Amino acid sequence: MELSETSKIGNPSSLHSPGSLSRNILENARKTIAKKLNARTTEIIFTSGGSEANNTVINIFRNSTILASRIEHPSVLKPTEKLGNPCIKIPVSKEGFIDKSFLKNKLETFLQENPKEKILISVMMANNEIGTLEPIKALSKTVEEYRNKGLKNLFLHTDATQAFGKINIDVKKLKIDYMTISAHKIGGPVGIGALFLRSGTPFAPLILGGSQENNRRAGTSNALLAEGFRSAVQYTIDIESEKLFKEKITPLKDFLAKNIKKQIPSSILLTPNKSLPNILSFSFPAAEGESTQLYLDLENIAVSTGSACASGDLEPSHVIMATHNDAEIAHNSVRFSLGLDTQKSDIDILLDKLPPIINRLQKISTIKTKDVK
Amino acid sequence: MKNPWAYTETVKEHFLNPRNFLMGDETKFKADGEGIVGNPICGDQMLIKIQVKTRENGEEYISDIGWKTYGCASAIASTSALSELAKNRTLEDADKISAKEICDYLGGLPEHKFHCSVLGHQALHKAIKNYQEKKAPEGAS
Ligand code: FES
Repeated sequence: MELSETSKIGNPSSLHSPGSLSRNILENARKTIAKKLNARTTEIIFTSGGSEANNTVINIFRNSTILASRIEHPSVLKPTEKLGNPCIKIPVSKEGFIDKSFLKNKLETFLQENPKEKILISVMMANNEIGTLEPIKALSKTVEEYRNKGLKNLFLHTDATQAFGKINIDVKKLKIDYMTISAHKIGGPVGIGALFLRSGTPFAPLILGGSQENNRRAGTSNALLAEGFRSAVQYTIDIESEKLFKEKITPLKDFLAKNIKKQIPSSILLTPNKSLPNILSFSFPAAEGESTQLYLDLENIAVSTGSACASGDLEPSHVIMATHNDAEIAHNSVRFSLGLDTQKSDIDILLDKLPPIINRLQKISTIKTKDVK
Repeated sequence: MKNPWAYTETVKEHFLNPRNFLMGDETKFKADGEGIVGNPICGDQMLIKIQVKTRENGEEYISDIGWKTYGCASAIASTSALSELAKNRTLEDADKISAKEICDYLGGLPEHKFHCSVLGHQALHKAIKNYQEKKAPEGAS
């Protein structure tokens, strides 16, 4: 968008002409996003980001049964803990996959005891820390199966913030009821996201006091951010980002994983095979994650860690606690994120710098590992 | 992501070039006293080993010190700073080194990282106590 246009942008809800320009921009963005997801335009609501979209969905089900996986983003977990009645956390395996039999048992119980109960299941499409791709397709099948059995008010939400733009998402094929996406995860602006809401599903606005978004989200619509979102989505369509991630980035990630394991034998791979193309998470015994992060930062390599030392509240990553129930594994965890611009040479540099750093930290650590002689 | 360098230059310097640390096999450092403590807040660990000598006036002092840390940059820098502060001090003086003194020496630590410096001071206290206990039977009998 030309910068000069911005001066012409008004309030999209106004009837004057800058308002109508804004409205066009907004609706255009909605169209692009809907097309990308194979949704209808009326099924897309703009929000201030992924967190608001997640909160909106959980809020629809306040005082009802909400089942959420233990590795959801805090913007799902926190409101679920507060509003779910009951709030049920779905356990996950070491690889981060939800426990399907736990879920089925619960659904079976509801079916016997209270088939009319309004129930929401919230399971993310991909985990942001370890990359696990949850079996959303199988999950929506289970949901459908139990709906047919009698749980008429059973719904499925998936937080696709991390997966959007990395893997193909077709909401019709996946039969999802609610889905969260965010612009900045695909290179768009911070401050805008969207909620997909299948026609006919229950809804209640989180923010009241205005008729915007078809009475579903009050607050003056931000056409500038919507345009940023649109162009980021359009870009993923133009370059076929999902295909690029699969063909170019997945092999790099696999190469990185294989070589880290080879060079640092004690390392524990936290990312399963069925995972996002761009996320790789490891735990390096005896080497605290924040220290590893800082050493790598000096080599201009940015990583993140689930270590308690690095989190503001000094709590270890809730994701790794859910998968491994071991604060030390979380403590030593490091997440590598690859982008479409990541090159083989970047991976080589990392593979050159990382082992000596880990070795040094392991050598001054009070914890013993088999790597250190 | 937060800027990982929320640390002062001194912290950074001690983190990158820690003083007096024990690389690899720590049993090579013959210690007169040692202390190990865990951090209940974030789960880190610190080991401090000291060698003690006696001055002509009879004062006992830390002639050498070595350490290991399993923890964050602030923990590593804090132990390194502590080891510098404690060296050549009398046991009595060294035992008085407070977390605040370590923190000041480093030019300050982020608020939520203050607890890392507490750890070093506790480990040193334990090491001194361990030395005195080991010595006690002779003195007592
Ligand atoms: S040792 Fe864990 S925060 Fe410093």
